[in-house]
Amino acid sequence: MKRGELLGSLEQIILLALMRLDGNAHGMIVRREIEKRTGRNISIGAVYATLERLETKGYVSSFTGEPTPERGGRAKRIFRVEAAGKRALQISEQTIRSMTAGLKDGWGTT
Amino acid sequence: MKRDSLPAFACSLLEFVLPGPYREAILGDLIEEYTLRSESTSRFAASRWFWSQACRSVPSMVWSSLRSRDCLISISTAMGVYIVMKILEHGAELAISKWVAPQPTTYVLLAPVVFLTSSAIGGCVAARIRRGATKFLALMVMITVAVLIDLKVCTIPVPWWYQFGFLTLGPLAVIITPTLFGRLKQQRALA
Repeated sequence: MKRGELLGSLEQIILLALMRLDGNAHGMIVRREIEKRTGRNISIGAVYATLERLETKGYVSSFTGEPTPERGGRAKRIFRVEAAGKRALQISEQTIRSMTAGLKDGWGTT
Repeated sequence: MKRDSLPAFACSLLEFVLPGPYREAILGDLIEEYTLRSESTSRFAASRWFWSQACRSVPSMVWSSLRSRDCLISISTAMGVYIVMKILEHGAELAISKWVAPQPTTYVLLAPVVFLTSSAIGGCVAARIRRGATKFLALMVMITVAVLIDLKVCTIPVPWWYQFGFLTLGPLAVIITPTLFGRLKQQRALA
């Protein structure tokens, strides 16, 4: 991760969802996990668009699974969090923590 | 769950619009989830969910594709094919108006044939070079025809459906011909 390059909020949420799913899952499972934990009903297209971006950045990798009849004979695309993705999440988390340090007491006053 | 109970139009729309690399995965995910939802709720609710997902997924995937280089290559291919197609079409029209049909009435009858043939050939060439290029080529054909109709380029009086035919059948010929040829090829290979 380049210095100063932070993860977007959806990128962060999707990477965290993948981590929760033992580091690898396909798009619909990621979408379900996000909906379950945050209540956000995001589209499958948004999930794949973000995963594609994360793959280009080298934060996740993917491979094609076997086609199954339940999926109309279409193959799954399984995504896995890479070490660079984990590092990016840590940096994002540290940045948020350092930026919010000392602010929490004042949040309720405005 | 039978596949024919799926919202077929939504599936075809996604198949056409979604960019190549993730098309299969997204459609597979949606079909799998649709099956689960139609078993746990109702088919109507599952269809509604499928349609909402399809409509909301297209913009993000198209935008993502536009940002990637993949889309630029498809657009460039479509533009290249379109230029060659128009040169050939212009040549054929010149030949028709000079030797075959100098009268305007015969020209009006032959122009759609030339247009549809060049659109069909263009579609096949674009699909052969790059599968994703056909939709951009179809879009280019549609926009050009719409602009030409708006500019009232055709000086010969023709009925509205004549121009409407150009507007709809041209892009359709670009998209459908390579699909038909692909199926024919598959059938021949199987035989």
